[in-house]
Amino acid sequence: MLDNAIEKKPSWMVLGLMHLKRMFNANIFSQTKARGVMIQGVVLSLVLLGVYYLLSNATQNLNQMGMMFGFDFLNATAGFNISWSLLPYDPTMSYWRVFMVGMINTLILSFSVIVVATILGTLIGIMRLSSNPMVAFVARAYVELVRNIPLLIQIIFWFTVVFSTLPSPRQSYMLLDAVVLNNRGLYLPTFELSSQAVWPLIMTVFSLALSVFMHRKNKKNRLKNGKLTTNSYILNVCVYLLLGLSLTLFNQSISWQWPQLTGFNYTGGAFLPAAFGAAFMAMTIYRSASIAETVRAGIQSIDKGQAEAASTIGFSRFQALKLIIIPQAARAIVPPITNAWLATTKDSSLAVAIGFPELVSLFMQTSINQTGRAIEIIAMVMGFYVVVSLLMSYLLNVYNNRVQLKVR
Amino acid sequence: MKNVTNKQAVPLQKFVATKSRLPKDSSSGLIAYVRQKFFNNLFNSVLSLAVFYLLYILISGALNWAVFDAVWNAANRRECQTLSPNGACWAGVISWFNNLMYGRYESALQWRVNLGAVFGLLWLIPLALNKTPYKTWVFISAILLYPFLAAYLFLGGEIGSEISLFHAFVSAFALAYLLLLYINLGLAYSRLGTLHRPLIGLCQKITRTKAKPLSFTLVWCFLALIIWMVFASYTLSYVPIDRWGGLFLTFIIAGFAITMAIPLGVILALGRRSKLPVIYWLSLLCIELVRSVPLITVLFMSVTLLPLFLPADIEFNKLSQVLVAVCIFAGAYMAENIRGGLQAIPEGQYEAAKTLGLGYWHSMVLIILPQALRMMIPNIMTSFISLLKDTTLVSIIGLFDIMLMARNIANDKAWLGLHTEPLVLISILFFVLCFGMSQYSLNLEKRLKVGH
Repeated sequence: MLDNAIEKKPSWMVLGLMHLKRMFNANIFSQTKARGVMIQGVVLSLVLLGVYYLLSNATQNLNQMGMMFGFDFLNATAGFNISWSLLPYDPTMSYWRVFMVGMINTLILSFSVIVVATILGTLIGIMRLSSNPMVAFVARAYVELVRNIPLLIQIIFWFTVVFSTLPSPRQSYMLLDAVVLNNRGLYLPTFELSSQAVWPLIMTVFSLALSVFMHRKNKKNRLKNGKLTTNSYILNVCVYLLLGLSLTLFNQSISWQWPQLTGFNYTGGAFLPAAFGAAFMAMTIYRSASIAETVRAGIQSIDKGQAEAASTIGFSRFQALKLIIIPQAARAIVPPITNAWLATTKDSSLAVAIGFPELVSLFMQTSINQTGRAIEIIAMVMGFYVVVSLLMSYLLNVYNNRVQLKVR
Repeated sequence: MKNVTNKQAVPLQKFVATKSRLPKDSSSGLIAYVRQKFFNNLFNSVLSLAVFYLLYILISGALNWAVFDAVWNAANRRECQTLSPNGACWAGVISWFNNLMYGRYESALQWRVNLGAVFGLLWLIPLALNKTPYKTWVFISAILLYPFLAAYLFLGGEIGSEISLFHAFVSAFALAYLLLLYINLGLAYSRLGTLHRPLIGLCQKITRTKAKPLSFTLVWCFLALIIWMVFASYTLSYVPIDRWGGLFLTFIIAGFAITMAIPLGVILALGRRSKLPVIYWLSLLCIELVRSVPLITVLFMSVTLLPLFLPADIEFNKLSQVLVAVCIFAGAYMAENIRGGLQAIPEGQYEAAKTLGLGYWHSMVLIILPQALRMMIPNIMTSFISLLKDTTLVSIIGLFDIMLMARNIANDKAWLGLHTEPLVLISILFFVLCFGMSQYSLNLEKRLKVGH
């Protein structure tokens, strides 16, 4: 019997069949790797098919309209006016120039909002934690009120209700004859550099650099010796005298330009249009509320013992905040604040609603209407925002790596 | 000696506690509180007085303008100004109030909008009740079925021409589901079982395991058929989409975005956590691209590029383009929220799910996602709030939502230049909605906190 069984070896054919059956049972879907490859292949081919479908439609539609894809329109003459631009611009310039103007206007608006909103937001965030209940309440009411009303409503409110009801140029508000505010906007004095101003300018920059250097050195000395030496006092006085001297020289060598009423309007000096003012005010207030919440959360995340220890060694509340708490809280505060800055840059696109000439309004509205190059223009505008956000997150990463707690 | 005897003669005095006295007025009570909190040093005193003065000016000014000096009844703006030059002219807002709510929807047909809203609320109420069976399905149906029913009510029109046959059919099923849900709920509260219970026995002869769902489906189909016949016999008059507007439109956009954001966000977030490189990079690209550009550019993109990238014979209305854009935008933001939740789930949960033999989808749906979503409720609510606020941007591309309606009042001949009052009104409205949502989310966060 036994021999018989051994002799009855399955033939190669049977073996082959068994192998096939095993392969069939352990079907290819149950192997993680194969399945992964398959799913990815399916998704990728679906996406590519979708992209192909969209692109073929686009080429067909473009052909029907008799248009071509390409960026050659950037060299064409724009031919429309821009109400406010820092870059020199006139209608004979190209669309590329329009793009530059839009970018710079967007960046100026966002940057000024970022600076002021950060300061205001920090102040309100600290007010929110005040021991004075009324102050804390006012700060909280401000934050809740501002952040629960859409930004667009606030921008339009500032534009139509506040800035449009300011007096006309003849009755404008004046500050020392230098700052003029009326329903067209804000006028500030500027100065013009002449060739005489070169040396005073160099001197000013040099003495400024020197005073910054001295300030740092003083701090180091104070930390080392506990006080300043007489020599360094004398040196300080010298540096500040130099600074004052070069500033007066500089002031004499430049010509100030004051805003002046000529006819129905002011000319001369720098001009910020009402749309800029409205967008600036609304965005600053809106963003300051979110920054205040960030700052408050950051300060609250620092252990209470730190503040108590600071007051034990005789620090005032302000000193404790400045020297002990905020430096520690910064680690928690900075990442959300950079997000808020980024959001500000994106929010600046809402200024399109009140006709401030920023990137979206100049390029996405006016230029698309004039050229019809929707794909190229939208890609450029989105590209700008993507680059800004990538840059910002890169800087944030650099900062994070620098301030990260060094744990051994 | 005498002294001693004398001393002995004095009886021991009993200790009588003096009456406990209140602390000095200066250390407790209202005055002390005020002194300690508001006037404990010079700086604080000045600050308190300044803030108090500021508050007084603001509140009294606002009250005078909005209530005491306000005009409630007037024919036009000039009349308002002659009646009270320094007060609010609410008369203009009141005369436009219907438009602010419904846009240019015919007032005789506005009951349909209201009915749609009531249906929406009815759909959500069972989710909050304890005895509702199959809450997940109620939730899913609210996302999948309710929009059809609502659109059917809002649009109206002849079935087959102005509204598609499929749409009307699904709407009938949706209404049948809602009806069935409430009948079953009523039966459940009166301990009578369910409407389809008599059928279960019959169904068991056909399938042993799926008898319950089958019987439910049978009842559902029967009800839907009846409702379908009602739908087919009454034609609602057609209201084209460009007549929709006001708060109604704002709610449609926000509601659609909110309901679509979660499924889209879950898919994108899972994709971004995927180990398959193609899927990972695709989702990463989608999320980061959308998140780094402003919403207004996405809106412009969908308005100008969608007609370009789709076949020329498809007709578009602005609302559907806007809905596409808002959905993409909301989905990308939601994905980052959900990803945060997924990352916060401890590795042990994933491993435990694997140990139980659950596959990827089972472990995600049953174990990981419920925890991740719950953990992220505050963030999700925050993004819902910002979505609601962001819907105002559709006014820039010319949809008559409440924002554009409010701005439109200033162009009306009778109310020329009436900017402030409509803006204040919609600000109050948005404030109430958003503040309410944020307080609700705080409350929800407290209730759902699972102690570890």
